[in-house]
Amino acid sequence: MPPPSRYTLPIWTALASAGGGALVIAALHMMHRLDIEAAMAGIILVLAAGALIGWGGASGIGLGEDPAAPGGADELSREPPYAALVDALPDPVLLVTGLEPDDPTGRRYVLANPAAREVLNLTSPSGLLVTAIRDPDVLEAVDEALFGQVAASALYDLGGTQERVLKAFAQPLGGEDGGLRTAVLVLRDETDIRRAERTRADFLANASHELRTPLASLSGFIETLRGHARSDEAAREKFLAIMQTQAERMSRLIDDLLSLSRIELNEHIAPAGEMDLALAIMDVLDSLGPLAREGRVTLTSDIPPVGWAVTTGDRDQLVQVVQNLVDNALKYTPPDGGIKVRLRTDLSAAEAVAPVMEDSSRLSLLTPDHGTTRYLVLQVTDSGPGIAREHLPRLTERFYRVEGQKSGARPGTGLGLAIVKHIINRHRGGLAVESVEGSGATFTAYVPMS
Amino acid sequence: MNEHIVKSYEDELNALTAECARMGGLTEAQVADSLEAVIRRDQALAEQVVARDERLDILQADIERKAIRLIALRQPMANDLRRTVAAMKIANNLERCGDLAKNIAKRTMVLAEAEPMAALTRSIERMGRLVSGRLKDVLDAYTASNLERALQVWSRDDEVDEHYNSLFRELLTYMMGDPRTITACAHLLFVAKNMERIGDHATNIAEIIHYEITGDEMMSVPRPKTDGLTV
Repeated sequence: MPPPSRYTLPIWTALASAGGGALVIAALHMMHRLDIEAAMAGIILVLAAGALIGWGGASGIGLGEDPAAPGGADELSREPPYAALVDALPDPVLLVTGLEPDDPTGRRYVLANPAAREVLNLTSPSGLLVTAIRDPDVLEAVDEALFGQVAASALYDLGGTQERVLKAFAQPLGGEDGGLRTAVLVLRDETDIRRAERTRADFLANASHELRTPLASLSGFIETLRGHARSDEAAREKFLAIMQTQAERMSRLIDDLLSLSRIELNEHIAPAGEMDLALAIMDVLDSLGPLAREGRVTLTSDIPPVGWAVTTGDRDQLVQVVQNLVDNALKYTPPDGGIKVRLRTDLSAAEAVAPVMEDSSRLSLLTPDHGTTRYLVLQVTDSGPGIAREHLPRLTERFYRVEGQKSGARPGTGLGLAIVKHIINRHRGGLAVESVEGSGATFTAYVPMS
Repeated sequence: MNEHIVKSYEDELNALTAECARMGGLTEAQVADSLEAVIRRDQALAEQVVARDERLDILQADIERKAIRLIALRQPMANDLRRTVAAMKIANNLERCGDLAKNIAKRTMVLAEAEPMAALTRSIERMGRLVSGRLKDVLDAYTASNLERALQVWSRDDEVDEHYNSLFRELLTYMMGDPRTITACAHLLFVAKNMERIGDHATNIAEIIHYEITGDEMMSVPRPKTDGLTV
């Protein structure tokens, strides 16, 4: 029995001598249109044809030379384009081998393209299959393809902070009875579909529930104005003012719900583009300056020079993070209090969430999956009443409000921190809160440095 | 198993780790499904979870038998011995997690008869996600032999506790507000407690990984622990 790594070689060389370029291109083309099932069939056709002809060639039947390598150059020089083909596919692809049906731990993956290595977080291009995928349903599908010789599929919940859902397709590639068998496993990202479904359900539930309250109050006042308050000048002015506040609240709520839905739909797609977090903070502080002066709150900042805090991120979204955090701090800081905004660069995840206040209760609201990167750390500290420890776990919940706390003249929508959390999660960062009852709270948001 | 296949010592060790990983995958699925059953009040799924628990018991016994066989026949030393012992201990922890998941699933059958409580199920769902995530992280750390990731899980146990305490308060408020919800809330309380214990098992597994890789016990280092309302 040849070792698995050498087993794959005949397939690629066979592919090369079969001159299956057209088929491969067709397969690639189909893959490009995300038509996986058709593309899989194409690839398998290529592999099968290649294998037949290739092995024929090896045993002396011969099929002419590869035009790209006249004179029958060494086999290695023919291999790369076909390995590159699988490597170039946008979807994760694994080649799986197995020897014994009743030794489920003997399945190995002998080839994993970069997409697969990224999604499954693999360090080596081959190894035991269970170290890459543990999901029992997917393993069962692979078994069916290997030993039942039928195509099978399974839903694969990847878990993790970004909550990705994949569909796994396993197709048999043949092999001798009792010998080494091979199958190909293709994963397709279905997070979008599922997320859209859930977002729609959430949106309907939230919108109908949360919009009903201001709407009920609006129609109540309209009734009063048409009824006994019709000719009461003073009451009319007062009611109209209340109605305006309610209408404004409804419109803010709709804005926030829509932006939350948009962010959630893209949450698993990492942002592209460079932006300077220091500049974003300066912009936000400038725009919130008048509001702070109005409430007699001192805004102090400690941010690095422009160009030091550059990150890969969506500028508008990160501005919204800063905006929401500072805005929240403003809401809860009493007159003559102070708010401190601090940005530090090049810290590890552990350093980012290290305590900054004494005797505080702390909680991480969001932790990134892989904590080996260096982070930009934004900290907003207020001098408000602080948050009791039992409320900390629920802070990023939609519409959650800490009982008995007044947020002053400008009531929020209860979505601010939820939005912050989802944006930071999209940026693969983290969020933590720290609070001392009676003397203030600190929110820490950190995103990877570019 | 196939006695006729002569496996090398290294193969046997690898097979032990692989079987532990496979058992881990099954446990993850059990925990996730039991939660799904509670959240969606899905009786059929709950019954499946209960029925599948036996597979975990069989796997655990199998891993234990193989580990003992390996120790007896191969007399592993140092690193190899630690790997063998770690596999055995992790299988034990996973089997306990499976039992807790089964218990959660059983409670679904009672909960399905009560009125749905949307706000509470959201809190349960959030805590469940956190616990499933920790189990996944620690098993990822195990299959990749990544000490740093294991330590991350280990040092973040207080998050689960905070969620549990918060949920405890929430449930009390409900029960005081409307005594008709007491039966359902009491069951949800046990669901929460079971999840908290699954989190503890994940922490245990992190400690075992630390032992497997470094050979040192973790007991000497104090874990960042939040005191107070642990009930």
